[in-house]
Amino acid sequence: MGAVLAVAMKDLRVLWRDRFAMFFMLAFPLIQALFFGAIFARGGGAAGRMTVAVVDDDHTPESQAFAGRLARSKSLRVLSEIRAGSPTTQPMTRDHAADLVRTGKAVAYLAIKPGFGEASGMLFSGSPPIEVGLDPSRSAEAGYLRGILMETYFDGIKERFSDPAAMRGPIQKSLAELEGESDLPPAQKAVLKMFLGALDTFVGSIDPKVYAQGGGDFGTPKIETVEIARSAGGPRSSYDITFPSAMLWGVIACTAGFAVSMVLERRSGTLLRLRVSPLTRGDLMRGKALACFIACCGVIVVLLAISQLPVFSVRVGSLAKLMVAILCTAECFVGLTMMLSVVGKTEQGVGGASWATLLICMMLGGGMIPLIAMPNWMVTASHFSPVKWGIYALEGAIWREFSWAEMAMPCAILIAVGVVTFSIGVAAMSRFER
Amino acid sequence: MISVKDLRKSYGILRAVDGVTLDIRAGETFGLLGPNGAGKTTTIHMMVGALPPDAGSVCIDGAGDPADPAVRRRIGVAPQALGLYPDLTGEENVAFFARLYGLRGRELRGAVQSALEFTGLSDRRRDRVSTYSGGMQRRLNLAAAMVHHPRVLVCDEPTVGVDPQSRNHLFESIENLKQRGVTLLYTTHYMEEAQRLCDRVAIMDHGRVLALGTVDELIERHGGLSVIEGELERPPPPGVPVPGRLDGTSLRLESGQPLEDLARLAGSGLKFRTLAIRRPDLETVFLALTGRTLRD
Repeated sequence: MGAVLAVAMKDLRVLWRDRFAMFFMLAFPLIQALFFGAIFARGGGAAGRMTVAVVDDDHTPESQAFAGRLARSKSLRVLSEIRAGSPTTQPMTRDHAADLVRTGKAVAYLAIKPGFGEASGMLFSGSPPIEVGLDPSRSAEAGYLRGILMETYFDGIKERFSDPAAMRGPIQKSLAELEGESDLPPAQKAVLKMFLGALDTFVGSIDPKVYAQGGGDFGTPKIETVEIARSAGGPRSSYDITFPSAMLWGVIACTAGFAVSMVLERRSGTLLRLRVSPLTRGDLMRGKALACFIACCGVIVVLLAISQLPVFSVRVGSLAKLMVAILCTAECFVGLTMMLSVVGKTEQGVGGASWATLLICMMLGGGMIPLIAMPNWMVTASHFSPVKWGIYALEGAIWREFSWAEMAMPCAILIAVGVVTFSIGVAAMSRFER
Repeated sequence: MISVKDLRKSYGILRAVDGVTLDIRAGETFGLLGPNGAGKTTTIHMMVGALPPDAGSVCIDGAGDPADPAVRRRIGVAPQALGLYPDLTGEENVAFFARLYGLRGRELRGAVQSALEFTGLSDRRRDRVSTYSGGMQRRLNLAAAMVHHPRVLVCDEPTVGVDPQSRNHLFESIENLKQRGVTLLYTTHYMEEAQRLCDRVAIMDHGRVLALGTVDELIERHGGLSVIEGELERPPPPGVPVPGRLDGTSLRLESGQPLEDLARLAGSGLKFRTLAIRRPDLETVFLALTGRTLRD
């Protein structure tokens, strides 16, 4: 066992000192995860828009105007109707909106609560009620959404100031209510009547263009947040998709690197020295496999650790399942390493064949183009790529929230591919050495 | 110590080793001499268990199969292709190979330090091998082969591409190992190395052992006569018998007893302006056996 560990530690040390290999194992996959994560986060054509469901429970002109302003916001993609697969639509309900959030189809829902129109018409005392329902883990989006709501609300006030006729309505309504108020001391009532009267006169006398410059000090909306726990069925962010893919990029870099290292040992004479030592061929294979296994696991763990930074917030659904997925993926690619290491006699031959094979596996397995974007025949072909099962197992543990039964299939396939390819590699190597 | 019987190995139609039989004694330095492609390295690979022979047997130190790990612990190999990791330091390389032979802890550290001192690389032990000169890499190759104190050390062309300083260092190291009683199997195509270091030499070509014995025995058997060549001060007077071939004042004489013949020439009144005696060497032996030179 000591000799096996010595071989493994030596290989890891050599790998650690190879900056080029380290770049392709860690830096390159990370850059890829960040780059594509950022691109997908912006959603391509609907760049930067946050999908929200809007529910109007107030049904007043003010609430409808507010919903309309939200729909026109460049920062939001608003779902305000239910489309149940038929041409007819229904207004969005709160239950349906909550379901959209729960299933990841909307980041949040905004419910314009009853009393919104009433409160938004009142000066000084009104706080229009709005309910925001979202996943508690998405605190960054919550802050962003709150900002958009405030901006949209004050845009409405600004609109009202730019329309003095509309603005005078609430002032006159407030004057009428003041008239009927019996609890106020007469002196205070007189002062307020005088002020509102003067304000009414003032609003009616000045050019509307002046108001377009800004509004007054009105009550802010009262935003109530409701936590909606997300259920399985979709990634929480684009990084949920790009990081598992990046982990596989790191793993294939390990695979190609170790495959070349085997032939390098053969060519540089170190393999002869290893083979005339008391080390058996089995020990040597185990040492090499152990090093490759540790490197593959290490790459995944490092990328996983980076994915846990708040900026990416990739949340692991099940740590135990993730560990199983990592071990199975690493085992599979150790087997592939052994097989690829004997496909050629030179570093160039093995390196070229390894990268060509692994890139095809990446392409078919969804490492380059997500499976959902592939035509049907490619999706069928992807079943033959171990990359697909590696990504599937990792995603199953990270965001797909697989049960153990669901994890069994990708893990079993990975283990089987690993065992078969390892056996082929060892058999070919034994033959090669004769 | 090492007994090899009728060893054979073919690659397709090429017979790389064709019935080699050797018997190397304990503590002896045995040279395998031959040109490139003679079958020396293949023979060695079969002797140390790195290559299975098609036929024949190898017995090292009384034990059977050299592929047996217990037998391999007694053997050290300094391969012709440098078996070193360029991205590791000299110390890390030697320590790694020592670990493969079961050395651990204090014993490991002591053996590594001793091997590096023995080959004169202590000062550079923490430098990566990629920064070493060719000669230093050869010395480290030897250090990695002898770090576990083997009873049999195989050096396959250890001085290829080595500067004179490192070559002398390697010779001294090998002579030192010889004094310690290590059995050495040494392959080379440099006859002067074999003459300096080896107790016995086997000359190989085309996978066969053509001749085997001490250097003197081989020269005596196959080297032919010594040659005396000289330039006389003046042509010999008429009537004075001159042995050999005389061309003007140039004399060339083949002789089994060159010193006696030279004394006889001086006694007959001949005076030499220049004089050289060329004894036969392994190169001459090889030429006589194969019809070509070692470096062909």
